[in-house]
Amino acid sequence: MTFKEAVAQTPNLGTGWQPGLQALRAEDKPHVQPEEPRRLRGSADIDTALRLREPNANRWDFAIGYQHTNCNDEFIYWVETHTGSDDQIKVVLKKLVWLKNWLRGDGRHLARFKGDITWVSSGHTLFTKGSSQVKTLAQQGLIYSGKILRIPNERTKP
Amino acid sequence: MTTLNIQNLGQIKEASLTFGDLTVLVGPQATGKSIALQLLKLMVDAGQVQAELGRYGLDWSGKLPEFLDVYFGEGMRSIWRPGESKVEWEGKAVDLPQLAARRRKSSEESLFFIPAQRVLALRDGWPRPFTDYTPGDPFAVREFSESLRVLVEQEFRGSGDLFPQERRLKKEFRDLLRRHVFSNFRLKVDKFHSQKRLVLGTGQNSEVLPYMVWSAGQREFVPLLLGFYWLMPPTKVATRGNIKWVVLEEMEMGLHPRAISVVLLLVFELVARGYRVCLSTHSPQVLDAVWALKHLRENHAGAKALLNIFEASNSPPMQRLATAVMEKTVKVHYFNRETGITTDISALDPSAEGQAEAGWGGLSEFSSRANEAVARAVTKSEREAQS
Repeated sequence: MTFKEAVAQTPNLGTGWQPGLQALRAEDKPHVQPEEPRRLRGSADIDTALRLREPNANRWDFAIGYQHTNCNDEFIYWVETHTGSDDQIKVVLKKLVWLKNWLRGDGRHLARFKGDITWVSSGHTLFTKGSSQVKTLAQQGLIYSGKILRIPNERTKP
Repeated sequence: MTTLNIQNLGQIKEASLTFGDLTVLVGPQATGKSIALQLLKLMVDAGQVQAELGRYGLDWSGKLPEFLDVYFGEGMRSIWRPGESKVEWEGKAVDLPQLAARRRKSSEESLFFIPAQRVLALRDGWPRPFTDYTPGDPFAVREFSESLRVLVEQEFRGSGDLFPQERRLKKEFRDLLRRHVFSNFRLKVDKFHSQKRLVLGTGQNSEVLPYMVWSAGQREFVPLLLGFYWLMPPTKVATRGNIKWVVLEEMEMGLHPRAISVVLLLVFELVARGYRVCLSTHSPQVLDAVWALKHLRENHAGAKALLNIFEASNSPPMQRLATAVMEKTVKVHYFNRETGITTDISALDPSAEGQAEAGWGGLSEFSSRANEAVARAVTKSEREAQS
């Protein structure tokens, strides 16, 4: 199954697939820099697609599919663009909880893919990628990418 | 602001350095930080350097290669590439071959240099004189060592405690040093047979610890402490002699983060006294302090907020120190190994697009990779548990 097919089979997200980074808001696109854009396998705006169904939930922002050179399967970057400040850590962690629950339910087709869950800072940031705040996030499985998510051709395997 | 521009000197391809009241140089090993700092010394103190070398019988025959070997240390003549290397100090081109060829008028020292190799300054617990080194040893090491010898022999002539010393350093600093560096030990001058030496003792009994049994941190810290004593004379004058600049290389060597914190506060004391201080460092803690200083200032925080970082007392003298430091300018430069070019990363903005600035010149890279590895492992483990 490809990323595109998995999005199509996901309830309430069915028509949400867009080529390249087109599902991202214009202001968010500069924050994601793939090494080779032609390796992008599309994107989906989860936040907008589920707004009507779960208006009060801390919904996650986007999923981006990518074909790395060293992997057979497509890979998903789960991207949340959010201000990088201490007071937003709790908010982003709530979104992470929502994402994990959603992946166990409606998002189960997408959960089959390997992926990185990433917080990309949309504005001014007060902590570095090596800080203790980022360690707190890491223990929950969340990568803090700073202002730019650089998607390399070769994936770092855990 | 004072500037030093360097092209094609040693590992440096292009360095454009602007100096603030406090300037911090970061970057991997062997990227030219020490060359830049020694060059700064030469720019500020050419006459004094030449006079000192001459006084101890060192003759470079007016030739630049010999001068570079004598000043920077043996083998360092290769850093200068004729026709390619260029130096510009305060906006004016400096002709280094001519500087080596013509003796400058001797002048009083304006820059005090505390080198990374400061542990060499003590042998068997006593500062080595300038002439105790070989002609191939760097001038900065020899001169620092000689200053410590003069300090200990002239200002601590009799036997007694060098630490704690009521007339040296503020009480708050002595308390912090006792807590984080010396514990219950006292640093004192002792005689072994007829030879004077620095030892550590508890003061409660006559047992003393000679230099060779000190911890690595104590061996690193004592020359540093003596350097601070040199810069903070026990008089009402804030600075020593004509010294305006201080270079301190790798202050963190051998020290626990708590001790680094005290040394950093001592560096702030130097800045508050009016010295222009230049540090080279591999410690993220130094940049943490600089970053905090910048943001505390921008957000109009009081002196207490700065002192809290160092667990320092909020006493009036320390408040004056912190208030003075908050008004000072700070510059941070990154020496890039791959390009040989320096970058001004003074904003230390973690959200900067440039990785040099966002990653604080590589000082947060390792932690960053550790965090990413843990995050990926957690996600993988949760995913496997689910399937």
